[in-house]
Amino acid sequence: MRDNAEQMDRRGRGNPWGRHIKSIPEGGYYLTLSCIMGSFFPGSESMIPRVYDLLGVRWGINSDAGSGWTCCTGIAYHGDVMPIEGTLLTVARLWSIAQASGLPVITPVCVTSFGVHLECRELYEKEPGLKEKINRLLMDACGRTFEIPKHIIHVSDVFYRYRDALRDRHFHYTLTEKGTGRPLRVVDHVGCHYSKIFPQQHAIGGAEDCRVLADPVRAWGGEEVDYPERRGCCGMGFRQCMITPNRGATIARTLKKIRSMAPCRPDLIVTNCPGCTTFLDKGQWAVHEVAGESHFIPVLNYVELAGLLLGWDPYETVGIQFHTVPVEPLLEKIGIPFDRSRSRLEGDRYNVGPPFAGPPTAG
Amino acid sequence: MSSSKFPADFDLQRQAFPGDDTPERSAPEDTGLQNQSGANAPWLDRPTCPEEYRRLRLCLDSLSDREILEGYRILRDEKVPRAEGWYYPNVRILHGTAFEREKDRREQKIWSEAHDESEVARWYREAREKPCAWWVENHIIARHALTSCMSCGVCTSLCPAAEFFDYNPRTIMEIVQEKDEQTLVELLRSDTIWYCYQCASCKVKCPRQNSPFGMLSSLRQLSQLKGYHVHSIRGRQQVAARHLWGGNLWNRACSLYYRDSHPETHRDFGPRHETLYRSIEIAFRQVGACPDMSGSLSARKIHPETLQEVRRLWHAGGALFLWQMIDEAAARGAVEDGLTIDEYHDKAKTEG
Repeated sequence: MRDNAEQMDRRGRGNPWGRHIKSIPEGGYYLTLSCIMGSFFPGSESMIPRVYDLLGVRWGINSDAGSGWTCCTGIAYHGDVMPIEGTLLTVARLWSIAQASGLPVITPVCVTSFGVHLECRELYEKEPGLKEKINRLLMDACGRTFEIPKHIIHVSDVFYRYRDALRDRHFHYTLTEKGTGRPLRVVDHVGCHYSKIFPQQHAIGGAEDCRVLADPVRAWGGEEVDYPERRGCCGMGFRQCMITPNRGATIARTLKKIRSMAPCRPDLIVTNCPGCTTFLDKGQWAVHEVAGESHFIPVLNYVELAGLLLGWDPYETVGIQFHTVPVEPLLEKIGIPFDRSRSRLEGDRYNVGPPFAGPPTAG
Repeated sequence: MSSSKFPADFDLQRQAFPGDDTPERSAPEDTGLQNQSGANAPWLDRPTCPEEYRRLRLCLDSLSDREILEGYRILRDEKVPRAEGWYYPNVRILHGTAFEREKDRREQKIWSEAHDESEVARWYREAREKPCAWWVENHIIARHALTSCMSCGVCTSLCPAAEFFDYNPRTIMEIVQEKDEQTLVELLRSDTIWYCYQCASCKVKCPRQNSPFGMLSSLRQLSQLKGYHVHSIRGRQQVAARHLWGGNLWNRACSLYYRDSHPETHRDFGPRHETLYRSIEIAFRQVGACPDMSGSLSARKIHPETLQEVRRLWHAGGALFLWQMIDEAAARGAVEDGLTIDEYHDKAKTEG
C-alpha cells in the first residue's frame, strides 16, 4: 500500500496542514497493551488483535516467559513514583523485544504510553550519551540492547489509516440512525498525551484541530460536532483520580466537559484514551449525584465503536457492560441487535440504576 | 505465628474462588474472601480500628523475612486448572494488603543490599544532599523543561488545575528561575506542587517551548528524595501512591491492576460498576481477557521470569531508591504521629 502520509510528509511540510501529517506504516506493529484499558475496558484490548487480523496487517505481541510485555510505567512516572531512568529502561526493554521480533513499529494502545514512548525518544535525541548509557544499563540488567524506533504510532492512528478499508470491506453498520438515516451527532475527546505533548510531529492535525477521531467518525457516517471544551483535559490527572480524596478535581473537569457537550445534543462521545474513556463514562454518575444532572451520554473508545460497527457481539466481544452509561440506547438508534441477558448485570440493565446505597458491609 | 503454621495452614481449597460453572450471583465478594482467609491467615486482615492495626502489626513483625517472602511467592504462584488455562486464585487475596506492602519493603531492602548500588540511585542519593537550585539545573527532566520563560502566563490560563485549585504554574516557573533556596524549599514542602494534572496543556501553548508539567514532575521527585513531601497532605499521599502503583509494578508488572477499582474506594463510579465488580472475573473472561490467569491479554498473571527481569530494570533505574526514601519518610511520620506504618498508610490514602 502506498504510504500517502509519508509522501505528504516529504512534499508538504511547508504548508500548515502538512506540518500535522505523520507517516503511519501499513504493518509491522508491535502491540504494547495498557494497564488502564486492560483494567476498565478489557474487551477493547481483545478486539485490537482481531481488527489487525481482519485487516491482514503484520503485527505481534510477546508473552514468552522471560520476554513478556509489561506496562510502560507511565502512570507510575506521571504519578511520581518512578524516576525517568526506570521508565527509559522499561520502554527500552519493550523496544528491544519488538526489534528482536522483527516488528519495527511500536503501537501503544494507551495514550499515556504513547506519550511516554515519545518522551523517551525525544530525550535520546536531546541528551547526548543517554542512549549509550541506557543501552549499557539494559545490557547489564537483562542482556538486551535496543535501537531508537523510527515509528511510534498510537493504535488510533492505525484505525485512522484504515478507516475507509474498515468501512468499505468489513463494517455491517454505519454511524447513522436506523430508519431515518440521520448521521449520529458525535463529539470527540482526544487524550491530552496524544495531542499535546508533541502536537506538531505526532498528532494528526495537531492539538487544535486533531483529526485522529473526527475523520474516522465522518468516514463511518457520523456528524462531527464541535463544542467549546473540546480540547480541555478530562481531569484524569493520575494522582488526582487514583488517590481517592483527590478525585473531586477529576469530577470537576468531567462536569465541565459534559456540560460543554450537552447543549450540542450528542448521540455519542468517542475517545482514544483509556483514562479519558473511564472518567468521561464513570464520571457521569458522579455528575449525576453531585450536580443532579443526568446527562448519561454514551462513551465509546474508537476500538469499541469499530467493533460495534463490525457487527461483533456487544457483550461477548465488545464488552459494553463495562460502561457506567448504558450503550444500549445507542445500539437501538443504529439498529445493532443485542441480547440483554448477556450483560450479566443485575436488574434492569437498561437503566443506570438506583442511587448507590453505600459500600458493601463485611460479615 | 510459628514458621510451621505458614503457609501450610493456608488452605487454598477452602477459598471459594469463582469457578467456571459458578453463576455470577454466587461468586464471592472480596469482603467474603477476606473474612474467610482471615480465619487461617491473620496477616491478610484489613484492619479498621487502632486495636486491629496494632494486632496486625504484631503479627507481621513476628514473621521472618523468609516466611514473608517465601509465603508470598508460594501463594502468588499457586495455580489451579481452568478450561482457558491456569488460574492463580491468590493474586486477588494478596493484592493491596498490608502483608503485600510489608513483603515489598523487606524484599526491596534485601534486593538493594544484595546488589551494588546502581549508578542512577547513586546520582539521586548525591543529588538529595545538594541545594534545590542545583537540582533544577541538573536533573534531566528539569533541564529540558525550561528554556527561556518570559512569564507570559499562557500556561496558567490553560491549566485545568489552576481553574480548580489555588495553583499557578507561571508562579512556579518564576520561583524555579529565581533559584532562591528558601523559596524552593517552601514550594517543595507545600501542597502546591501536587495539584498538577500532568495533562501537558501548558506545554502545547508555551511560546518558548517550555514544559511546566515536566518541571512539576521533576520537583515532585526532588520533594520525595529530600523528604519534604510529608509536610503537606497531598505530598504525604505519596506513600499510598508508592504502594498502589509501585506495588502493582513490583508484583504484577503493571501500574494499575483491575481490582484497584473496588467499589468501596470508587463509590463515584455508581451502582452499575458495583454490580459489575461483583462478577468482575467472569465479565473479564467473557470478553477474552485473562484475569489472574495465564495468557497474553488484559489482567493476565505476569510470568515470574518477566517480573524478575523488569525488577532488575527498576533497581538499575533508581526506583527502589526512591521507594526507600518514601518508606523512610513514612516510617518517621508514623512514629511522630504514634501510628503503626499500616495505619499511617491508610490515613495518608484517605485524608485530604
